[in-house]
Amino acid sequence: MFYTIIEQVVNGIVSGSVYAIVAVGMTMIFGVLRAINFAHGEYYMLGTFGAWFAIEYFDLPYPVAIVIGVVATAVIAVVVGNFVMQRIVGAPAEAGVLATLGVALILQNTVILVFGGSYKFFSGGYIEPVTLFGFTLAEQRILIIIVGLIVFVGLELMVTYSRMGKAMRAVSQNIECCAVVGIDVRHIALWTFILGAGLAALSGVLTAPVNVSVYGGMGELITFKTLPIIIMGGLGNVRGTFVAAMILGIAESLVATYVGLQFRDTVGFATLMLVLMWRPHGLFSAQARF
Amino acid sequence: MTTAESSAAPTGRDLRIPFGLMLIALACVAPLFLGNYPLHAIIIALIFLLPAHGLNLLLGYTGLLSLAQAAFFGIGAYTSALLAVHFGTPFYVNFLAAGLVTGAIAAPLGIPALRLRATSFVMCTLGFVIIGQAIAKNWISLTRGDMGLAAIPKPYFALGPASFTVSGTVGFYYLVLVIAALATLAVYLIVRSPAGRNMIAIRENETLAESVGIPTWYYKLVVFMISAAFAGLGGSLYAHYLTVVSPLTFQMYYSTTMLIIVLGGGAGTISGVIFGSLLFVGLTEALRVAPELRMIAYGFFLLGLVFWFPSGFAPLIGRFWSFLEKRK
Repeated sequence: MFYTIIEQVVNGIVSGSVYAIVAVGMTMIFGVLRAINFAHGEYYMLGTFGAWFAIEYFDLPYPVAIVIGVVATAVIAVVVGNFVMQRIVGAPAEAGVLATLGVALILQNTVILVFGGSYKFFSGGYIEPVTLFGFTLAEQRILIIIVGLIVFVGLELMVTYSRMGKAMRAVSQNIECCAVVGIDVRHIALWTFILGAGLAALSGVLTAPVNVSVYGGMGELITFKTLPIIIMGGLGNVRGTFVAAMILGIAESLVATYVGLQFRDTVGFATLMLVLMWRPHGLFSAQARF
Repeated sequence: MTTAESSAAPTGRDLRIPFGLMLIALACVAPLFLGNYPLHAIIIALIFLLPAHGLNLLLGYTGLLSLAQAAFFGIGAYTSALLAVHFGTPFYVNFLAAGLVTGAIAAPLGIPALRLRATSFVMCTLGFVIIGQAIAKNWISLTRGDMGLAAIPKPYFALGPASFTVSGTVGFYYLVLVIAALATLAVYLIVRSPAGRNMIAIRENETLAESVGIPTWYYKLVVFMISAAFAGLGGSLYAHYLTVVSPLTFQMYYSTTMLIIVLGGGAGTISGVIFGSLLFVGLTEALRVAPELRMIAYGFFLLGLVFWFPSGFAPLIGRFWSFLEKRK
């Protein structure tokens, strides 16, 4: 009994790490562009498809496939960022919603058109089980947790010390002032977007061996999981997002085991509504950006 | 968003009335020269017009961006279907019950949701859709889960001993046409009333509206309920027209569609929303080449709409009107 709970919590931390890497990109995009990116899950899907393509057609090893998936997604993000996301800066909220929904439709259905809508088997990854402190865990899951920690420490260092990171923080606090002091806001918005999409792709490639199957519509579910996380974590708040992602991952895992698997995908929005009733600005202050 | 209504010159009235009468006459005789398939498309457009009118009241007039229309659409469809299948009640009972139940359900949902600011409100309303779908899928004893409810009777009216059933596309077309016309009239009356002016005041500046004594909270809640009721009525028609409902009735697709109709036609204008619903149906029919290509084209259409016509296509029509009038 106790063993099962711990096991489910560990599983929850793994999926929490995955959600955290996806959501942190989305929350940074919101911070800089002031737009909810409804296409965010599609970049997760694109990363997975890039890696699947590399393994299936060129027989490349998994680590190389990770790089290919992330780079391919980043290239697409450059195009989308240039043609769509940069124009959203300063536009009304509806524009952001409609434009990113449009991008989601285009990306998702192009992938389905090219590769077909069926489920595909993802064969890469490290699935050997290892025993740690009496718990058996697949290597891939440990890798996910480690990469999650590296990503968050790296982001924290980047936004605190690097020039680009400081600029991102500044833009997320006040666009007008940044424009006045000569920061190229559209340039920052583009790079934030590429970073966010790349992180989503990384998370997709890391999870693919655990999920085993890959299909064109998989991004939508991720978008719907990420949205409550970023709201709960306080929009544009990186640390809050991390905590909210962990809470959601663990809650989902426990609900799936003790309530029923079919309720897992509603946990996010149900928790979100409860949280918003109690704290309308999310669990963490929206002011503490990045 | 406000430009559309005012861009038509006041002299346009003498042109508008004959044009409107012509349109009504055309709508009445449409079955004479339209085949079953185009008629089916127009029926769908008129059904979608109801939730779109609701969303327009909320987004176009009160300034609240909501993605919950699909949830209320689904609740209305299920209410109507359950009544018809289990109790065999006549159509008008199901139809009105769908509107009332949906409006009533919207109240407890709206009270917490409307406390939230822009983005959080959007997400919360999106959550209603996701949770509604989960309930429709998992409350199997009531909704039969993924199998959905089938064999919903075609609308039938029973008044005393006399009763008749609306069967066939033409009959349904007239039924939907009448309902859509009544709904449009209702929206027109709401918008032209002092309440409508107050709604616009809330959209333009909520703090200012509050300070001049408009009970903004009360207005937002009531408009949210009315918009939900409109969506529920549309869902009821949809259930009786397709004669099946399934958890797929709760889909983001419907919320997106309503948003496209309202924003594409021109939020904050009634004629814009009517035009938007016809435009949307025309678009989906024109794109019926292959489902994937259709959705890709749909996506590009959305981007074009956002970047080139940020206030919808209604201002274009307004410009066309003034062009016609100048030539007179």
